[in-house]
Formats: sequence, structure tokens, C-alpha cells
Amino acid sequence: MSELADLSLTESAAVGRDGGAVALLQACLARLDAWNPEINATIWLDRDAALARATELDRADGPRGPLHGVPMAHKDMYFQAGRPCTCGSAIRRDFVPEVTATVIERLAAAGSHSFGGLNMAEFAQNPTGHNRAFGDCRNPWQTDHITGGSSSGSGAAVAVGATYASLGSDTGGSIRLPASACGVTGLKPTQTRVSRAGVMPLSFSADNVGPLARTARDCALILQTIAGHDAKDPTSSDRPVPDYLAAMDGDLRGVRVGIPTGPLMDAAEASVQAAIEAACAVLVARGASLVRVDLPLMDAVTAYVGIVSRVEGATIHATWMRERPQDYAPHLAARLFAGYAVPGVYYVEALSRRGPILRRFAAEVFAKVDVLALPSIPTALPTRAATDVDADVAHVAAFNAVSVNTRPFNYLGLPALSAPCGFDPNGLPIGLQLVARPFAEATILKAAEAYQRDTGWHSARPVLAG
Amino acid sequence: MEFLPRTEATIADWHGITPPNAAAHRFAADLAASIAAFEALRGSLAFEDEPSDFEAALKDCAA
Repeated sequence: MSELADLSLTESAAVGRDGGAVALLQACLARLDAWNPEINATIWLDRDAALARATELDRADGPRGPLHGVPMAHKDMYFQAGRPCTCGSAIRRDFVPEVTATVIERLAAAGSHSFGGLNMAEFAQNPTGHNRAFGDCRNPWQTDHITGGSSSGSGAAVAVGATYASLGSDTGGSIRLPASACGVTGLKPTQTRVSRAGVMPLSFSADNVGPLARTARDCALILQTIAGHDAKDPTSSDRPVPDYLAAMDGDLRGVRVGIPTGPLMDAAEASVQAAIEAACAVLVARGASLVRVDLPLMDAVTAYVGIVSRVEGATIHATWMRERPQDYAPHLAARLFAGYAVPGVYYVEALSRRGPILRRFAAEVFAKVDVLALPSIPTALPTRAATDVDADVAHVAAFNAVSVNTRPFNYLGLPALSAPCGFDPNGLPIGLQLVARPFAEATILKAAEAYQRDTGWHSARPVLAG
Repeated sequence: MEFLPRTEATIADWHGITPPNAAAHRFAADLAASIAAFEALRGSLAFEDEPSDFEAALKDCAA
């Protein structure tokens, strides 16, 4: 049973298609039961319904989809008709949607089923995973450290083998940060690549849906299933979805990898820089070339990205901020509050500059490189205490520093992936962030999969104490 | 009136929302840094940049 829980998504799908849906579910639940007292990764579980569905899938006749019988649990912000969707908040503790998110429907059409809602930052609005309403999700590598947020439960649950993959969401790093902190692989697709219909909104200009899983290949399998236009989300792209898996041949000849000059790399701690440089050497050994590249307009990107998500978040929370501000975590209410003071002219400037900045960034950077390589989190992973703004507002600098390397790529709308590439001096995972031009998910997935052919960081697992 | 009380008064006037806790004062005060960042960018938004369409830029910048 334990060995089943350690399978990759790709491997588990083969078991599911072979009639092992119940066994896969039982393996995940057993793993979760063992770990959850330590990591607090779940908000709700639906064991009976999941067992019934797994039994149905094992008995089903006819063709079986690519994810047949694979159980998953997702960040608790994906609508599933008739099931809870707390958004990690006290305010939505009792909310039960009447519709199902398109991405959940697409996973189900491929044969997967979901068995629970995973812990997350309240309303997906912090980079650390702190949660007052349901308790902090704790990092399985060392429980006094942050999981990264906001998809905290997704990162922790994938890391311990309690789910083969999990949908997270990423508005400023919320897939890549927990992927980095928990030692798993996470992909934020290009803005508009994946439907957001039936998904809790945070910042409609910067929200993205994507997977956390154990390998780049697993992330590709999920993206292959969920990407593509959705009539329920008019902002979703109608661009054809390529065959991500077919592109993964391990051959990086002709791929130009660029390490950014400037603070995104230079300000990182030495152990993190060394891990990124070592990872790039692996890519070079696979045939890639390596250069240093300047990133233009980063001052503007940094200024604008915070304004967009702050104002959009404040806008959609205005009613609750008037009527029940005490029901938010203090740091979240405080952050939302500041959003109301931002002038409309600033917000429109930030949005108006987005296209021209992307065009110049792409022209200057992607003329020289195909993939940017940089740290997902530039520091050794901090503790929950050192980033707890509710305990001491002076921690806000450490809190904000967690996402400094991920936020820019939400403003630019670029696809970005985090893959494990080492451990910091405290024994916590380090993440390699790979970024490419719009809709070039295949390029970063190919590079990450090639990297994982030659390294074992993605196979490392936390050990349950006692 | 100083920056922080002026900012909080504006939020109350325009939105009917008051500081929910002590940390809110700190986050509102930090908006001064946003103003400074925007000051440094003044002039970078050109009159001719409009209309700007981010989705079109995503498509145009794809391979």
C-alpha cells in the first residue's frame, strides 16, 4: 500500500487503468492519515464518496481515460457542485457551490476523481501558507518552516504522497512557492492558457490555474488535460494545445538557458545561487547553452505588479471588508485595506503598461534565450514564526521577500515552473524556477523533465518522525 | 494632514472602510513606497501607447 502512494502520477494512472482505483485511493488516504497530524494539509475529506467513485471506476466498462482511477485532492478553491469550498477562509467556511469548475470537469472526464479540499492561505492571499481559520499547513520537511503559499496543502500533500497531483493557483507565486518549499514540481501556465471558470477569484488579471505534482512529466499530463479554451471563461485562449509529453525527449541541444543578471539572482543567498548554477550545469550537459541575460524594465514590473493584484483583490472583497472585517486574518484585512487607497489612475497605468512591457521584455530577453533559470525563493526557507505578520507586523519584510522572484512573471503573464534542485543549509528544499515566452510551456516542461532524468531531487521524500 | 491619516480618511470617505486592525496602519503607510515607485516611472506611459491589449501582446510574443 505504501509503495502505491509513492508512485508518480504517470505510474498511478497505469495502475488506475488496470483496475486499481480503490487501491490507489486507499494508499493516498493511508498516507494522509499518517502525515496529517503533523502537516495539517486538509480542510475537508469525502472518504465515502471517493470510495464509491473509485469502486465505480474499477467496474466501469469501455475506454479508460489517461487519468482513469487516479484520486486527487485540490486546493480548496475549486468549485465542485454539492461539496464544500471554503477558500481557506472563515467567511466561506459553509459555502457549498452549485456548479463545478471546468478544470475539475476536465480531470473527471480523463478519469480522475477528487477526495478532498486542501489547506491554503486564506483566500489565496499570502506567500507563506499561514492560515488562521484552519491552522497553518506545516512543511513536511520541517514543520516549523513555511510550506510556501498560497497552495500550501497542495505542496505538502504531494510531497508526502497523499495525492498524486493537486491543482493549485498562482497569482504571485502561489504554485511555485509551495512547490519550491515542499520539494515538488509546480507549473504556472501562461495567463489565459487554462480556464478559470468555477475557480475562486483573487486578481482576475493575474490568476492562473496549474498543477503541483512530483515530476515535470506529471505536470505535463495535468496541463494536457486542463488546458484549452473554455466557453465558460471568455478570457481563456483559443490557441491550440500542443502535445507536451511528446516534446519530452531529454535532448536540450539548441535550447538557450539564461541566468538573469541583477537582483533576482544576485540577491539570492549563496546556497541558493549554488544550487541554481549546479542545475544549469545539468541542463548544459544535456545540450543546452548557458548565457547571462539582463532583464529590462524590472523596476516598472515590480511597481506595477503589486498594484494590480492589490486593487483587484480589494475590489472583490469590499463588501465583506465593510461588513465583517474581523473575520479575516489581521494581515489579510490589513493588506486589503491598503488597496482601497490606490488611485484609479495608478491601476489603469499598471494595466496599460502591461502589454508594452511584455513586448519589450520578450523582444530583449527571448531573442537571446529560450528559458530563464533563477531561484523560485531566493533565501533559505524561513520559519512560520519569522514570517508571521499577525504575531508581529515587523515580519512583513520577511513575509514579502518570499515571493519577490515569482511575482514579476505574473505581471508579464509568462509560463513558469518550479522544480526541486537541492536543499538549503537547514535541510529545506530549494526550487529552480524556469520561465519562457508566452505559451512555451512545452519548452520549460521539456527542460525540467530533462533535468529530472539526471537528478534525484524530485525523488527525495520527507520522513515521518516517530 | 499627514500621509497616513489622510490616506485612511480617503478610504473611509470613498469606500466606507476603516482600519480593521493595527497592522492596517503599517500596510497603508507602506503605500508611500508605491507612490515613490510610480514617481520614478513618470513619463514612461506614452500617449501613443493606447490602446494597449495585453492578450494581444501574449499572442504576438509567443513563438
